[in-house]
Amino acid sequence: MAKRFEVSLTVNGRPVQAEVEARKLLADFIREDLGLTGTHLACEHGVCGACTILLDGEAVRSCLLFAVQADGAELMTVEGLTPEPGTLHPLQQAFREHHGLQCGFCTPGVLMTAYALLRQNPNPTEEEIRAGIAGSLCRCTGYESIIRSVRGAADALGRR
Amino acid sequence: MTLDGTYEFPAPRAKVWAALLDPAVLGRTLPGCDKLEAIGPGEYRAIVKVGVAAVKGTFEGKVKLADLEPPTRYRMSLEGSGGPGFVRGEASLELADVPGGTRVSYRADVQVGGLIAGVGQRMLGGVARMMLEQFFTRIATEIGAAA
Amino acid sequence: MKPAPFEYVRPRSLAEALEVLRQHGDEAKCLAGGQSLVPLMNLRLSKPGVVVDLNALKDLAYVRAEDGSVSIGALTRQRVLETSPVIRQRAPLLAEVTPLIGHPPIRARGTFGGSLAHADPAAEYPAVVLALEGRMRAARAGSEREVPAEEFFVTYLTTALEPVEILTEVTVPVLPPHTGTAFVELTRRHGDFAIVGVAAVVTLDEAGAISRIRLALCGVGPTPLRARRAEAVLQGQRPSQALVAEAGRVAMDEADPADDLHGSAEYRREMTAVFARRTLGRALERLGVRL
Repeated sequence: MAKRFEVSLTVNGRPVQAEVEARKLLADFIREDLGLTGTHLACEHGVCGACTILLDGEAVRSCLLFAVQADGAELMTVEGLTPEPGTLHPLQQAFREHHGLQCGFCTPGVLMTAYALLRQNPNPTEEEIRAGIAGSLCRCTGYESIIRSVRGAADALGRR
Repeated sequence: MTLDGTYEFPAPRAKVWAALLDPAVLGRTLPGCDKLEAIGPGEYRAIVKVGVAAVKGTFEGKVKLADLEPPTRYRMSLEGSGGPGFVRGEASLELADVPGGTRVSYRADVQVGGLIAGVGQRMLGGVARMMLEQFFTRIATEIGAAA
Repeated sequence: MKPAPFEYVRPRSLAEALEVLRQHGDEAKCLAGGQSLVPLMNLRLSKPGVVVDLNALKDLAYVRAEDGSVSIGALTRQRVLETSPVIRQRAPLLAEVTPLIGHPPIRARGTFGGSLAHADPAAEYPAVVLALEGRMRAARAGSEREVPAEEFFVTYLTTALEPVEILTEVTVPVLPPHTGTAFVELTRRHGDFAIVGVAAVVTLDEAGAISRIRLALCGVGPTPLRARRAEAVLQGQRPSQALVAEAGRVAMDEADPADDLHGSAEYRREMTAVFARRTLGRALERLGVRL
């Protein structure tokens, strides 16, 4: 059996302890070992953005990290956007209002990318939003509604 | 993709022809060739480990020679597959006398498919050119050594 | 598409890392940002026997202003070069080019040294480091050596680094006064690898003539290349539209592109001239010279 490594990390504010094989991708660890299937895998080589999560506050590609590398880290996944069941984070609410998703497959990655963007730049211009989400590929929406949603979220968060 | 070019050997045409069609020489000069054996007249099977830096893969393939007009021209078809993808192609080679030796002109139409074609497409043409250079340089060394 | 099994090591010091490489040679691959290596591993185009995770070597991530130069630790995350005040002051070309690399999540993990050691022929950092005449420090168990940028990039994905070596630092000299720099690239989408990229470093003397010029191209050959013949055209001359156009034409002949899906060799060659002109124009604009 392959050698297993102990990892100890925080996921959406909760401490996690596990044993993983070195080659287990962080995305697979999150989905399979933690049951948090909101994080999606599509291209598995870093270009589509569906797997984007926050690691120590920064948006990263979880398909390009091994779980063993997340030892000691603080992760936030899309499930962490809504700590209270039955509620929606203003970002999610904005995507709902402005139709920022259709099939929803790219959406968790887009949300986490947008979340990181708005934390760094709470009032982005349209150009800045476009550049900020350029690393997320969407097959359904044509992106305009995503941009409107991020803009809507910035406005809503600004009003809070 | 289409690859074409020339390579000049400081050796007489008969020698270059002999080297290019000798399976023992090909086995030694094809980049990454682990094994080349004849499986029929003018037909060979080869196992080739190719790659650039970290990107490496093993291909198993067949090469068939046709339309031989010694010592001037021949055609070659190849197909190979392995982990990283597959390769299929047709090439024509022509040998001509030039002052000081022989010029080999080649033209190949190659299709590459599978992962390496999708992800590595940007570099395929360049890497293929590089490998052809390597191959011809090794043939030149072989001919020089045999002289 | 998951990686093949490998042995995983996370050394806590550079010495430890170098010892692992000394033992395993070309069976080992270094993992820095992972933004180039892990895709290759996930697609099984690369199957290293041993993965040496360098991310615990925090001592190798730094930006240091030194006398007449700036030294950058190889493990410095790319996003640091976007905002570092020392880089903006001493090597603004690096700050200019960084936002063009991939996307923020890529730059959050990707490292400066990793990009250089990976040596993608269309990558931006190698061309910039070439134009800035950087020096690379390569360490191995028991010793280290310095490799100038112009000897560092050998061919596709291949550098002068041997399997037992780690790139630890890059030093870039501070540019002389009255130097304008620019980097412009042609891509289909924001964040793509360059179809053609040009880095220009132009210094003018008191008479307004070009006293020093460095022009580096990426995406048009197996490695980044210095367009030395184009530089010779510009050297000592007063900038003008005609001169810059001529330099562009000469640079075009020095480029050695191959065909690919994003552009034919002919297209890339033509674009080399266009982008050489644009980049030179922008570098000169920054010196207050309008062509």
